[in-house]
Amino acid sequence: MRNKEIKGAPEIITPSAGDTSLPEPVMLGNGVPVYMAGNGTVDLLRIEFVIPAGQVLEEVHLAASTTSAMLTEGTLHHDAATINDLIDSTGAALTHSSDKDTAGLVTVTLTRKLDDVMALASEVLFSPSFPENEFRMLTDRRLQAFQTSRRRTSVIAREAFYEALCGSRSPYGRITTEDDYRRLTTGDVREFHRKHYRPVNMYVTVAGSEPWKALPVLEKYFSGKGTGQWQKPPLPSPVLETSEPGKIFRDLPTSVQSTVRVGWKGITRNHPDYQALQVATMILGGYFGSRLMRTIREEKGYTYGIGAVAGAFHNIGYITIMTDVANAYRDETLSEIRKEIEKLRTEGVSEEEMTLVRNHMMGELARIFDGPFSVADAIRGIIDYETGADYYTRLAETVKTITPARIMDIFNRYFNPGEAWEIIAGSR
Amino acid sequence: MFILVSLTYFAYMIGFERQILDNGLRVIVHRDEGTPMVTTNILYDAGSRDEEPDSTGFAHLFEHLMFEGTQNIPLFDVPVMMAGGENNAFTNNDLTNYYITLPATNLETALWLESDRMRGLDLAEERLANQKSVVTEEFRQRYLNQPYGDLLLLLRPLAYRVHPYRWPAIGMDISHIEKADSISAKKFYDRFYTPSNAVLSVAGNVDPDRVFSLAEKWFGDIPSGVKTERKLPVEPEQAERRELTVHRPVHAPHLLMAFHMGSRESRDFYILDLLTDILAGCDSARFPAILVRKKELFSEADIYLSGEADPGLVIFSGRIRDGIDVRKAEEAVRSELDRLASERVIAAELDKARNRYESHRLMQYISVSNKAFSLAYHEVLGDADGINREHEQYMSVTAEEIASAAGLTFRPGNSSVIHYLPEKI
Repeated sequence: MRNKEIKGAPEIITPSAGDTSLPEPVMLGNGVPVYMAGNGTVDLLRIEFVIPAGQVLEEVHLAASTTSAMLTEGTLHHDAATINDLIDSTGAALTHSSDKDTAGLVTVTLTRKLDDVMALASEVLFSPSFPENEFRMLTDRRLQAFQTSRRRTSVIAREAFYEALCGSRSPYGRITTEDDYRRLTTGDVREFHRKHYRPVNMYVTVAGSEPWKALPVLEKYFSGKGTGQWQKPPLPSPVLETSEPGKIFRDLPTSVQSTVRVGWKGITRNHPDYQALQVATMILGGYFGSRLMRTIREEKGYTYGIGAVAGAFHNIGYITIMTDVANAYRDETLSEIRKEIEKLRTEGVSEEEMTLVRNHMMGELARIFDGPFSVADAIRGIIDYETGADYYTRLAETVKTITPARIMDIFNRYFNPGEAWEIIAGSR
Repeated sequence: MFILVSLTYFAYMIGFERQILDNGLRVIVHRDEGTPMVTTNILYDAGSRDEEPDSTGFAHLFEHLMFEGTQNIPLFDVPVMMAGGENNAFTNNDLTNYYITLPATNLETALWLESDRMRGLDLAEERLANQKSVVTEEFRQRYLNQPYGDLLLLLRPLAYRVHPYRWPAIGMDISHIEKADSISAKKFYDRFYTPSNAVLSVAGNVDPDRVFSLAEKWFGDIPSGVKTERKLPVEPEQAERRELTVHRPVHAPHLLMAFHMGSRESRDFYILDLLTDILAGCDSARFPAILVRKKELFSEADIYLSGEADPGLVIFSGRIRDGIDVRKAEEAVRSELDRLASERVIAAELDKARNRYESHRLMQYISVSNKAFSLAYHEVLGDADGINREHEQYMSVTAEEIASAAGLTFRPGNSSVIHYLPEKI
């Protein structure tokens, strides 16, 4: 028997978020803002170019993501093979990304290779040539990956949710088909690039031990680009058609599990309840011991994991719960989710549970602000959605002071069972 | 010149201090004052290779039980969260690893928690039953309900005949998980979850002397347990090519080819790790350039090492383009592999791989949790300082070594091949 009397538990020091302030930008000669997050001892720089060129601006579906993926497939000066070779021989990583609202290019490089890597970044961002053959090959590969993704219950359930929330004609809710891949041309991609990849619309984040070292190099390669002075691009505001709440079923005959997704319309990031909603979602399904994890995983054993998040695009917010369960458990899962929400709407949370979630979120904030790379990510959220530099300071304040009564109010306001979509993707 | 060399070398050094408690617990501390956080990492030298063939998946199931509370601390996660921490664990074929990252001011809470679950567990039937159900859903979610999710489940029993690497850490079959009982759980715990079978590694903003004295305080009186020598069957050398064809509800065919290689500590590991980077580590590498772009046979083509402690596998994994015959695709891979033994890789390719290794290593060791795990892992392999010898191992790989390792490894008789084809609809 190894069990024996335990010594007194050590005293826990209440975690604090630390310094949650964000850096002021430095402007390049053409006004492009550069945000620097400096810390650490490692001789690497991570430089991200963020461009307002997300799906929300598309006139032709897939133009945004394809433009982003085509950047390294050939430029006015180099073909795809040479570009890849130039990047890889520096040991750097160049990663493009494109989401609903923005597009970006992240470069991670040894400081001594900075000049070479920035020359390449500038070339792929602003002088791509979109060669026909590379476009065809890339589209074929993407089509094949798309076809594979159609067998994933999680993908189908997510798509059904955003269609219900935003409408199939909006860029946030549009459903991609194989024909979208077949119809897209290099002309569409060229046009998207010409309109939206403008140096005077972008901003830059630099993270590393000595981020200021990047400034003269950025000035050299990006300040002379484009015409005119930098200006804040207007936030897009697409027309949305939200459908009636209710049950949605998507049949995937060969699946051995179902994805269950319950969702509501949420609020945008500048809404006064946004921070309180973050705390409420954390209580419901944001951590290992959350209400949903305790019941649906730890008590019932229906799933490996269940989570809840609240987030937002430019002009619409969402709240969603997701889990993958055996086909036989999906109805019980839905009914347990309803029960947990009902409890939060009527019985609320104890002061003890509040303290737990408070400390957990403070620890999370401290981790966001530990290390320049994650600070750079935090900056991105703040600039893209114009939430104000004090977003995290306000979040920390809300976490510290929010009351159980306010949490109950949030659940009554935003988690109404009559306003939910209940989506199942799985085999009938 | 001398100063330059030593400075460069210094950038790759991870300094640490080490002590062994009387009960055999090895304690490693790395101090990093650039962060307010600390990671405590406990590695138990027990993985799925230590399971019986009729009860596979047990080590991983047991990892779940480690979060189910003890008589002293019924809810493991509560103190972690109160202290502002996050924690998790993973199990692989070789080991089970647990970590907590939290503000350095709460270091002692993490040590208290880890020592408590090394001291005793609450192995109630009800909790076991529940975690069996959770793990069954994990099995389905990760391996059965994903297109191509069962590829590695199929590969292991094909490539290994006697060594326990012939089953994956999740287990050979869901039925093995279903029949696990609390008596075997207790036995497993008593055998493997002891100070003499564990390494505690702490990395972050902490004073090593304080960590050592806290380790003594919380772990020092736990009975050491008996470190049992592992006697695993040695996989006999493979004599001829093995092939398996399966049909699944997927859109495109997939090709998997696996080759036996040396152990994690052999020179083979570093040579082949650098070689797989030359073949598929980046967009300009050979497979993406030749198999994907030039010949248009694959939509993705990767090659990597399974990376286990005992002799492991080099695995080629490629998604084949619509309308391309799987044998034609395999032949193209074959000819790229054959070419490695007959022509030397060029200096530029080697340089590129070394540069990429350098950036990758710097990136990886920004995080204290990665440093903590890596130190513990090298210690269980034999010496934590192994972490500092890897740089030299990679940098010294030559084109001749690559050609000779490739010739030895990529023999057709050393291969296990899976043709994973779409079901006819």
